[in-house]
Amino acid sequence: MDRVRKLFLLLFSLVIGIALISVPYSGSAANKVLKIGSVAPETGDSADLGQAQRRGIQMACDEINEQGWAGDWKLEPHFEDDEGNPTKAASVTNKLIQETKVPVIIGAINSSCTLAAMVHTERAGIPQITSGSTGASITAQGNKWIFRTAVNDSHQAIALIDYAINRLNLKKVSTFTAADDYGQSGAVLLKAAADKAGLEVVVEATYNTGDKDFKPQLLLMKERGTEAIFMWGIYVEPALIGNQARLLGMDCQLFAASGSASHKLIELGGEALQGMILTQSFLPESDIPRVKSFIDNYNKRFGEDPIPHAAQPYDSVYIIADAVRRIDTTDPVKLRDAIANTSGLELVTGSPRFAANGDDVGKRVLITEIRGDAFRLVEIAAVELSD
Amino acid sequence: MERYKSSIPTCLYKLGFIAVILCVPYIIRNLYYLHLINLIGIYCLVVIGLNILTGYTGQISMGQAGFFAVGAYTSALLMMKLGLSFWVATLIAAVVAAVLGIIIAIPALRLTGPYLVMATVGFGEIIRLILVNWVPVTRGAAGLTAIPAPSLFGFRIISEKSFFYLIYIVVALGILIAVRISNSKIGRTFIAIREDELAAKSMGVPTNTYKVSAFAISAIYAGIAGSMFGCFSGVASPDAFTFNDSVGFLCMSIIGGSRSIYGAFIGSVTLTFVSELLRFMQLYRLIIYGAILLLTAILMPQGLSGMGPVFRKFSHRWKGKRRLHGNIQHSQRKER
Amino acid sequence: MKGWDILYYLVNGLPIGAIYALVALGYSLIYASAGVLNWSQGDMVMLGAFIGYNLHCLLGLNFILALLITTPAVACIGMLVERIVLRSLRKRSSPPVNVVIGTLGVAIICRNLALAIWGPDAQLFRSPVGSVPVEIGTLRLFPQDIFILILGIALMILLQYFLKYTREGKALRAVAQDRMAASLMGIDVGKSDTLAFAASAAMGAVAGILIAPLFFVTFNMGAGIGLKGFVAAVVGGLGNIPGAIGGGFFLGLIESFASGKISSGYRDAIAFTVLILILWLKPAGLFSKITKETV
Repeated sequence: MDRVRKLFLLLFSLVIGIALISVPYSGSAANKVLKIGSVAPETGDSADLGQAQRRGIQMACDEINEQGWAGDWKLEPHFEDDEGNPTKAASVTNKLIQETKVPVIIGAINSSCTLAAMVHTERAGIPQITSGSTGASITAQGNKWIFRTAVNDSHQAIALIDYAINRLNLKKVSTFTAADDYGQSGAVLLKAAADKAGLEVVVEATYNTGDKDFKPQLLLMKERGTEAIFMWGIYVEPALIGNQARLLGMDCQLFAASGSASHKLIELGGEALQGMILTQSFLPESDIPRVKSFIDNYNKRFGEDPIPHAAQPYDSVYIIADAVRRIDTTDPVKLRDAIANTSGLELVTGSPRFAANGDDVGKRVLITEIRGDAFRLVEIAAVELSD
Repeated sequence: MERYKSSIPTCLYKLGFIAVILCVPYIIRNLYYLHLINLIGIYCLVVIGLNILTGYTGQISMGQAGFFAVGAYTSALLMMKLGLSFWVATLIAAVVAAVLGIIIAIPALRLTGPYLVMATVGFGEIIRLILVNWVPVTRGAAGLTAIPAPSLFGFRIISEKSFFYLIYIVVALGILIAVRISNSKIGRTFIAIREDELAAKSMGVPTNTYKVSAFAISAIYAGIAGSMFGCFSGVASPDAFTFNDSVGFLCMSIIGGSRSIYGAFIGSVTLTFVSELLRFMQLYRLIIYGAILLLTAILMPQGLSGMGPVFRKFSHRWKGKRRLHGNIQHSQRKER
Repeated sequence: MKGWDILYYLVNGLPIGAIYALVALGYSLIYASAGVLNWSQGDMVMLGAFIGYNLHCLLGLNFILALLITTPAVACIGMLVERIVLRSLRKRSSPPVNVVIGTLGVAIICRNLALAIWGPDAQLFRSPVGSVPVEIGTLRLFPQDIFILILGIALMILLQYFLKYTREGKALRAVAQDRMAASLMGIDVGKSDTLAFAASAAMGAVAGILIAPLFFVTFNMGAGIGLKGFVAAVVGGLGNIPGAIGGGFFLGLIESFASGKISSGYRDAIAFTVLILILWLKPAGLFSKITKETV
């Protein structure tokens, strides 16, 4: 048996050896290369979001390189997987900065990971754009290196509540949010918006991501006479909640934010989700040429419709490319200033403008409804869009 | 080789070893690797504690991330809210972790094997859920940000280099104390409990006291490591202290060899570097990682540190051949 | 709490309890025979769901046919796990915790292979029995729930029959009682281990196919269900077959009542505290007689 052990030891050291040799290799021949680092959970519980980010970035880089959109700059994406773990996110951010030597990073998606990565981008002085994290603390720290192209959740909450009151005339509603950072910040925003507008919230329930049975909480809502349920989370649970609410015979209006907006939601939810209202920053069935070409190309390439976690990183790449095109250098300080002064770009999710704290305030907020197997535009929300 | 070894006093070896360690931040200039090395030091401390509990006393814990989290949050909150210095905060964090260790040890006293696994898994989850839900104190899922850096005589420990010295001095102390414990009467009692608790009890050993103290010791190690981890990463959120992290610590312990203090270091080095070095394989990385876990568990029942005899055999055979070639006589040591 | 309310939570907890019971039976059976924990049990559920999804939804096979193909296929994977992990570990007489790490390795491999093959998105698995609820008074019963209960309980009865009346089942029980004695009596203990792993994986696979229409199919669904099943098995007393069934239903009902009546955020924390306290009072599970270890 000793032979087997030795063989294994040999193999083991071989793997490490090969890995050691192959890792430091990261040379590039062309001289005008802009390396873009991506930190996202490509495996683990939020793998769907991380892989969408990868696709969005890959597609944007290929398009820009093909069309020469960034002048003679060639974009080179480098993807790292953080597994949704902040410790790993810090490590890979370090790796991108120190080993790959990227001048800018897009990431991460989980707020905890973004916060952990920010410590290192700030220390190294490298701009970081998060296109997935919505946690309030990210842009509230006075960190000059962070930008956020994720949709502004506060605007979405206000738009949803306004719609519920003014258009649908609802009185009693419930919130049903994920017990993670995304869901909890949504819950706080919804409650604040509802209180301000005088809408009564009868049940504030939460669920853990991965929960499958929501009937007990739904029953409580039914008991208290809820007219609408506001959900805040990734699409899987809202699809289940919608289904189970219908199975329980509840006839209430469903609401959700852009985090749930995916064609998977319609596919998984089926009949039960007809008439559900969602806020989104872009519409898969859009007539706007920029949006339409993005969706067509994405569909052609990956065989599915993009989710916001693909569209926002896609836009972020264009923001970076536009900045580099203007300043013609990858110096991180100049790059940061150029990104901060972004203006006049027409992208998929809006026309980006950054506030002083790094939040993108140029995002569209569309109110959409699920009708048939598609999202239909109801109206463009009239939320005050300047901070 | 043996003659050469005996001609130089062992303390010189030790001094040389320490000198090399002290130079590490100057040899390894890449901050990414230095970051990983620091992380390894922190993991190593947790795993030492786990080895005392699991390897020596035979009590499996799958909730070590809970103690780790308590250390990180306690010291971070004390520093942020009360303005205590890192050193005082770490001390209190260690005490709080130890108290929790004792609390979990009491129901655990009557449990063995899978039942103990369940209780410790439950403990880890309870801690994590408290961190997520006790929003006014822990700030919920988003976690704590801007945890202050430790300072020593006005010098702020913030760079990877300065953290290296802080972490590895603590690791050295931790190893020293753990080795002392394991070679003392306490350590032998732990092993006696692992091998046959009933026999130990009938010999008049107060096994309950020893089992509780093993839990407390492991909690103290995890608590101190957690306190340093909070400052080191600057942020602390429940996502960093999940069941998966507890399992990761146990894997490091088993892979390195849970019955050896040095095995803790070997285990944390191996798993941290393997998972980072496999990154070039992208999505297939974790499949390989799983296979490595599987094969190590199968092929090295005592972990990597238990592979010592095999290595020695290797080198002896090799040396033997060479010496035969050079016509030098030497007495072959009897190998097991 | 109104009367129908209690009834509702009761009815709601039963199907999920049956699923937990099936997974818990897997843990218990393996523990009874081999005395180890198989940490890849949850991923057998995931594999069952995915293979069933492939056959039923992608290839358009009949549901029953898909079930009949999936179950033995996953049982084979279970046997493979036993061959690779348990046999080699026994040969080297390694501590039982190594089995945990080894099967954890298997779980990581399964999960990430599934991610590589089927992608990160949740997949829809349409219920074979439709989704029109049956109304009895104020109660609404869902066909899939009833289906889960019937099939789950049938499987449990089948398992009991197998253990009580077949040669292999009797051998397995003998090994569970005293491995050494069984081995001396000429029972092939290795075969009994293989059988336990195969049966556990098969039950996991059935559980996977049964919940797929309710929960969707994702590559990481095994982690949560596996842990819940483990908890159920431990509460019932590992190695105790009726205990595992009782533990599964107990957990299902606790969850159903807790999410409706207790703060949903702390729900799991409260559940775990209760479980630790139960273990404190009854260290070998809820459904066990307290036995003191003797020499």
